[in-house]
Amino acid sequence: MTPASRTASEEQSVHRRLMRFGEAESLATPMWEDRDTSVHAVAHHLSSLWDASREVSAESEPVVGEKGMPHARASVLNLIVTVIDGAAADRVVHTLMDLGVRHPSRAIILVPEPDSAEHPIDARISTHCHDVATGGDRVCYEEVVLTVRGDAAEHLSGVVAPLLIHDLPTSVWWPGDPPFANRVFDQLVEMGDHLVVDSSDFGDLLGGLRRLANVRRRSGVGDLAWERLRWWQELTAQFFDTPRFRRYLPNLSRLHIRYATAPPGSERHDDEADVAPGVAAPISQALLYAGWIGTRLGWRRHLTLEPLAGGRFHLRLEGKYEMVDLLIEPTETEDVRPGELLSVRLASVGEAGAAQFLVDRDQDDAIVATNADGMTALLRRVAMETPSEAELLSSQLTMDVVDPLYEDALRAAAILLASAREAAA
Amino acid sequence: MATRTPDADTDRDRRRRRSSAAAPTEATRPNPLREGLRLERMAEPCTMIICGATGDLTDRKLAPALYNTLLGGFLPPEFSVVGFARRDLTDAAFRDHLLESINKYSRNRPVKPGIWESFARGIEYHRGDLDDPAAYVELAKRLDRIDRDRGTAGNRLFYLAVPPNLYPEIVNQLERAGLATPGERRRAGSKRGWTRVIIEKPFGWDLASARTLNRELSEVFDEEQIYRIDHYLGKETVQNMAVFRFGNGLFEPIWNRRYIDSVQITVAETVGAEGRGEFYDQTGALRDIVQNHGLQLLAVFAMEPPVEFQAEDLRDEKLKVLRAVKPMTPAEVAENTIRGQYVSGWVEGERVQSYRDEEEVKPDSETETFVALKLGIDSWRWAGVPFYLRTGKTLPSRVTEIAVQFKRAPLTLFARAGVPQVEPNVLAIRVQPDEGILLRFGAKVPGQGLQIRTVNMDFRYGASFAVDSPDAYETLVLDAMVGDPSLFTRDDEVERAWEILDPILAAWNSGEGGPMHFYAAGSWGPPAADQLLERDGRAWRKP
Repeated sequence: MTPASRTASEEQSVHRRLMRFGEAESLATPMWEDRDTSVHAVAHHLSSLWDASREVSAESEPVVGEKGMPHARASVLNLIVTVIDGAAADRVVHTLMDLGVRHPSRAIILVPEPDSAEHPIDARISTHCHDVATGGDRVCYEEVVLTVRGDAAEHLSGVVAPLLIHDLPTSVWWPGDPPFANRVFDQLVEMGDHLVVDSSDFGDLLGGLRRLANVRRRSGVGDLAWERLRWWQELTAQFFDTPRFRRYLPNLSRLHIRYATAPPGSERHDDEADVAPGVAAPISQALLYAGWIGTRLGWRRHLTLEPLAGGRFHLRLEGKYEMVDLLIEPTETEDVRPGELLSVRLASVGEAGAAQFLVDRDQDDAIVATNADGMTALLRRVAMETPSEAELLSSQLTMDVVDPLYEDALRAAAILLASAREAAA
Repeated sequence: MATRTPDADTDRDRRRRRSSAAAPTEATRPNPLREGLRLERMAEPCTMIICGATGDLTDRKLAPALYNTLLGGFLPPEFSVVGFARRDLTDAAFRDHLLESINKYSRNRPVKPGIWESFARGIEYHRGDLDDPAAYVELAKRLDRIDRDRGTAGNRLFYLAVPPNLYPEIVNQLERAGLATPGERRRAGSKRGWTRVIIEKPFGWDLASARTLNRELSEVFDEEQIYRIDHYLGKETVQNMAVFRFGNGLFEPIWNRRYIDSVQITVAETVGAEGRGEFYDQTGALRDIVQNHGLQLLAVFAMEPPVEFQAEDLRDEKLKVLRAVKPMTPAEVAENTIRGQYVSGWVEGERVQSYRDEEEVKPDSETETFVALKLGIDSWRWAGVPFYLRTGKTLPSRVTEIAVQFKRAPLTLFARAGVPQVEPNVLAIRVQPDEGILLRFGAKVPGQGLQIRTVNMDFRYGASFAVDSPDAYETLVLDAMVGDPSLFTRDDEVERAWEILDPILAAWNSGEGGPMHFYAAGSWGPPAADQLLERDGRAWRKP
């Protein structure tokens, strides 16, 4: 079975499943599949997809009623996804079905096979429609899966360019471990306005973080690992929204982050197709979190107490008034996705008095506690849902602007990781 | 002792000295961790006191709004709620009651037990009569205790979920119990927290009663402490319209009398007076809809660009529009207004009885359930452009929209080719349902001949950004906690609206303002309303 047709059958089955739950409409137009085709043929088929005359062939007149077109064809962005093989394409197809509701778009999924000598291009086009909760509109998007072989796989930008909806922002999502050194990576990233990756999937995390910090792009870089930190950042910031706790900030002396790793030998097997397989760099979120706090509070690196070993390291940083101990360590668990934070503890000493601030994950909730001012510990439970890959991607695509907070955190994370590594070497 | 040379002054020393000089102000500086995060609108720690906490509004709107705001992460950990009402309830019973309401009406449900337990610890019930001074003295003690225990810093938001005739009594009681802390300006330098009051429409019954109400409120609170809720404005409409008009270079240059022929504002409801006959029979469509939603939509549509997109500038501009709407003489009322009342008919496939047969409605009621008005805005931008405004009950569809009809092309180039007059362009801004924008223009039908057909370009917020908009009450309650009154109505706007409507009500009452017209439920109002436009050579849209 070729990757393209395997993806097709997977897509059909996922779709049937979603339909059963009332979450998706049937495919809006018949799936179009062509082996050994050309970019021109694909472009032609795409342009004829939503012809009004095709939609209402039963009537002789074009539909221009007061209520508008039969399908709301609102386009907000192009999305280019590059995957390594058919299996990865399956995963992406599933994620995009969730995404379609939020981001009507043309999605082009590229499966490059540079080493294959078969015919250069296989293509499959499907269109998906979802009912919008309010108003009874249907929002449609189309998805193009292209398997590109041989030399053409080295020139992907030329294959994609004619297929984009013009004048729309284009995002490039590179799931997995992007080939940073490959020319194709630069080509595609330059075509897009916005690059989305997941740094917790990087094979070489330090190299990847450094490369990301220097990627040439017109607008932002998005990182799903960063997006996963959103609630952690929010809960951390909330401690210090209260003016009387803010005075502890310059006196912070300890930051202890625990993150999840998979127990040895346990491969997460899940029927939910959007659960990532292995996570190559689970420490990524913890590093980005530390990088974020560090840059917000102006910490500088000072000394390595314990070099990186087994995913754990201990650094001493120079804070505003105090030295800050940064301890990052893994905890084996099967409860959450590897890489997710499990707890964050901040402690302060000094003239302001001792204080502790703590966020602890507890299933889908978090326990948030403050112990400061000699007051009894303030304890509360808040929601801490783990968003799906589609939700993460969706909010990254909404934010297709430069995120200075992330860029700062990214650089700092690279410095922290390098410090932890240098001492080890 | 040798003085240090600048060279000996290391980076680090400098930094240390700078920071120690700044140290005492750490608490007054903005939170460095908050900077750049998505949730920039966190509420300040505060206590929300719901007066009349056992009513329908709390169940349907306020409790779900608070819960969803909490889930969104907008409520600080200190946030506390005090329900204040006469019914004999324990804290636990009140919490259970709220929980039940949220499970019934919230857009996020069921409630997550752990989250609720934690939130519910900050919810209390205060039993007392709203006219009993002792109940307020006790309330004050309770609020002080909450400030101490939960760190709410003396910030209090009173939500008056009671009929408007109780507002003066409650605010006076608050003052007597020392609960009415002066406004932000007057307490400059004081360490006490803020006090704000949210009230619901109707804001008065006519100009005189609105002035009385405003005066009674202003004797206790500053205007900036009073938040008058118009849930219509809490929808995304105001921001959407502002972004559409002022965020695009394309529309503002043609947003005036040179290019716009006329404007139609429609606020149509399919429901009748059912269930609130007594209230409605005393109120009527003009007071119920035109006074607030209708004129607010008009003001937001027609206002000049504000200096900044913030509360006072926005409200100043809206007020300027209302001031340019000249009140009518009795003769003008007869000419430019149509009032109607529905008789039995069919709406959405269901039989509707006549208004006068509705429960609690007087059998000879002269209350209007439909209004059509022709208004003018005497400003440089709008002089000579008629604004047609209509609202009614039991109309064929539930829709709120503003439709702009542009002037025709100056020359009919295609007349020779046998094409009659091309229809004028229409831009329709739809507020509900399906918030969106629609543009009608002429296009050539493909083929050899020259046929022109009008087509629609249709944009819908829901179809392009398929995201859940928060409920109006979520937005508005959070705005009040944050202290942003942009979407609330100011006293002078309320009074000016009454200045416009009082002459109409007076002329109708005296009989000089034209007769009552009857219309079948399920129609777009009485034929007289159509004639109001036909005599100007125009017609209502059928939205």
